Amino acid sequence: MITTTGYSATTTLPLDASISPDETVALPKLKPRPVGASERIQTIDMVRGFALLGILLMNIPGFGIDGSAFYNIINGPHNTADYYTLAIVTSFFDGTMRGLFSMLFGAGMVLFTLSKKEVEGGASVAEYYYRRLLWLVLFGVLNAYVLLWEGDILFYYGLFGMLLYPFRKTAPKWLFLIGLACFATGHFKQQMGYAEFREKRLEYVKAIAAEKSHQKLTEKQKSAKAAWEEIEKNRKPDMERTAENVSERRGGYATVFTHFADRNGSLETMITYHFWPDMLGMMFIGMALFRLGFFSNKLTTSSYGLLLLVGYGIGIPIGWIFFSKGVAVTDIGRYLDAHRVPHGALYDLRRLLLSLGHASLLMLIYRSQILPRLMKVLANVGQMAFTNYLMQSIICTLIFHGYGLGYYNQLKFHQLYYIVGAVWIFQMIFSYIWMRYYRFGPFEWLWRSLTYWKMQPMRLTARAVA
Amino acid sequence: MSTPNLNLATPDQETPDIAINAEGTPRKPERIQPLDVLRAIALLGGLLVSIWIFGGLGNNRQLQILEHPNSDNYRLFSLVKLLIEGKMIALISLVFGAGVVLYLSRPNQQNKLSVPDLFIRRQMWLLGFGLLNALLFLWSGDILYHLAIVGILLFPFVRLSSKGLLIAAMITTVIFCGKNYWKYSDDKKAYNKYTAVIAFEKKLSRDSSARARAITAIKGDNKAIAQVKKDSLSKKQKADKQAWEGLLKNTKYDPKKDEGENKEMQTTSFADLWSHVLPATQNRESQWMFQTGVWEVASMMLFGMALLKFGFFENKLSRKQYLLIALAGFAVGILLGWFRLHYYSVSIADYTKYVVKNLFPYNILFPLEKLLMTVGYAALVMFLAVITRLSSFLKAVASVGRLALTNYLLQSIICSVFFTGYGMGYYGKLEQHELYFLAGEIWIVQIVFSIFWLQRFELGPAEWLWRCMTYGKWLPIRKNTSTNTEVIIPALT
Repeated sequence: MITTTGYSATTTLPLDASISPDETVALPKLKPRPVGASERIQTIDMVRGFALLGILLMNIPGFGIDGSAFYNIINGPHNTADYYTLAIVTSFFDGTMRGLFSMLFGAGMVLFTLSKKEVEGGASVAEYYYRRLLWLVLFGVLNAYVLLWEGDILFYYGLFGMLLYPFRKTAPKWLFLIGLACFATGHFKQQMGYAEFREKRLEYVKAIAAEKSHQKLTEKQKSAKAAWEEIEKNRKPDMERTAENVSERRGGYATVFTHFADRNGSLETMITYHFWPDMLGMMFIGMALFRLGFFSNKLTTSSYGLLLLVGYGIGIPIGWIFFSKGVAVTDIGRYLDAHRVPHGALYDLRRLLLSLGHASLLMLIYRSQILPRLMKVLANVGQMAFTNYLMQSIICTLIFHGYGLGYYNQLKFHQLYYIVGAVWIFQMIFSYIWMRYYRFGPFEWLWRSLTYWKMQPMRLTARAVA
Repeated sequence: MSTPNLNLATPDQETPDIAINAEGTPRKPERIQPLDVLRAIALLGGLLVSIWIFGGLGNNRQLQILEHPNSDNYRLFSLVKLLIEGKMIALISLVFGAGVVLYLSRPNQQNKLSVPDLFIRRQMWLLGFGLLNALLFLWSGDILYHLAIVGILLFPFVRLSSKGLLIAAMITTVIFCGKNYWKYSDDKKAYNKYTAVIAFEKKLSRDSSARARAITAIKGDNKAIAQVKKDSLSKKQKADKQAWEGLLKNTKYDPKKDEGENKEMQTTSFADLWSHVLPATQNRESQWMFQTGVWEVASMMLFGMALLKFGFFENKLSRKQYLLIALAGFAVGILLGWFRLHYYSVSIADYTKYVVKNLFPYNILFPLEKLLMTVGYAALVMFLAVITRLSSFLKAVASVGRLALTNYLLQSIICSVFFTGYGMGYYGKLEQHELYFLAGEIWIVQIVFSIFWLQRFELGPAEWLWRCMTYGKWLPIRKNTSTNTEVIIPALT
């Protein structure tokens, strides 16, 4: 997904200086066009490739298993492979891959808009930028309604990207603050929602206390009691609901389509309206980091080292607390009684730190040249991230839905990760080979051609290969 | 008279000049007066519908009116539904779309923010105004939010030719019709599920009573008793049954609902009021926007963009043609509206029967009706604009339109102070015609205020703030007497 990057107009960005709008070199008056392969910033592609593969860690349960699995793992014995898998994935990766993607989307936005020069009489850079995003929204719709992946994020990135344009030249300091303000808004909303939920529990507790002291319950207390009992009941997996979900997901294309048609609509509405801080906040921070040179390998080794230490040093313990105290909750009632503020309040801090940690680690590996091959392959994966993102939808829906192999809910939670591994290997090999012969991934090519409304050259020229 | 050059591909031809005054700040480009008149019509006319919601004449009480089709209340209500409802949002979207093209066809200035930059900023601040209107002035029916977002979405289309825009407008209108149909087919589906459950229930009770007889014959057969207990509806069946029953209930007037609603809206605590209004606001800004709003606004905005590029607002057509378009638009539009209202009444009378009988919903052609009537209004104003005797009247009306944003926000402030418990608490206490007395008062206040304001100032207060925020600096608001800022009325020159 989400590659937004990579199109510079006719020149490369100066790699040895931090990027600022004034530093883009004067350009010959040519129509804006995508960047050539040699001009790309390899470290950005590398981090993007990493995030792209990583995102499948978080998405695979959505593809392959009914939601009741989480409840059963958390409420079951803790010494199982499923539990360990969930613990590691949640505390170490949850939200961080989406975070990195959002950051790189912000970075790519700056790269796209600032490296292009306005052309007299032609469409403005702003128009190309917005066309590109509208196409992205459409790709998101296809991903959700045709490929039938309800976890699509292209739709949101396309929409939220439209709000970034006026900020492309804003100073990094302000971008950070705006990003943090987004998170603050998100947490404020979360806290309001949590307090409302908790209120229901507290009403129930009062009603129960009244009942115990043999008072007659008022109508209000009775309904409060019933309301909470209903909530508790709905949290437990419902066999009937699970069975229905599984049979629909394992049905033919029409059945699966109907299953998702309404869900997709309400998800898209709700996430756009309520969860924009999650993505937009990271996009702003990504813009700031890019402007500071973080993603283009311009910080000192000790800075990356420090960020790695801080990111993992604080992020991992918080991640563990977040999982063990906040996610692995068996008794939601007691949890509400005990916590005025939920552990979700740590969510964005945690993933910000871990995302920085992941990216810094990659940068350090890149610099130290220990695994040059792997880094190169990751960069290949990142170069065609959009293709790879859609390919994950295609592969996984074909594995799990009924019109494909129909493995939905047939595997155990930890077994899903064998599939993740297989997809990773496939995508790495595929990207490596593809990028040897072509300038873009197939979907990148389509997207670019649509944006510029002109067929883009696809094959690498002999010169570029050399 | 210089006509704005709308062919964006060649911006260096004759263009509406934004002159730079001594302070180096841009001066307002010429305004097209008929657009301001249309803004004013949309703004003042829209109040006749929005005051229903402001004043507590919501869906529920409207059903009560519809249940008595021979009353004056019903006639007045239908008249407003026919001429105003939906057309004013359409009209403001149309004018907004025309404004988008005008705004974007200005040339870039050296060392200044580029025009697309200004445009996006302007839209984003408008989004801010919309949120302010909804969340602070408590107007859950706000439309600024939607105009802001759809304006950004349509930005990449501005370069299309008038024909291309017209096709895009038609496509979005068809999608909008389709959305109305889709919603109706959901109702139909709900009904079919309901009938299936009812049939199952009947069979069940027959079987159960047969079994009960059997049980009394063989006393103590635990298996049979367990079987009877199992014979109840599944959760899904129950939900299906309730879904349709809930749907039906919503087509009937329920006095209890009003009582509760009135009490909530008359609370004196702003915080309580805020949380009570919030769900409606959120629904408007999310579900409604996603499902229909975006198509409703986009179709008309595209249409406005197309009309402007055709030169419709700059007297490209003859007077006869304008008159003809106006008459045709109103004639067909009102005819469609008549059918819509008729079938709406039928649906309210017995929704079950209606769903069984009708393949299409009453509102399937509502988008087309809105489009025709809106074009009717636009053509009518273009027709009237050249009548000299009307010029001072039109100028007065246009001044309301020049202050459209200010006046729109002012309506929210006045109405929320007048109706909610935080202010004077008239919510739910006035009949429809009484609401219109207030609307009339607001009209007078707004017309007088706008005329006086524009004698002293160049821009309305909200417009001025909006522009300052867009440019990121303080701009003059007072009239600059040294430069000629007289509005050029294309129709009169």
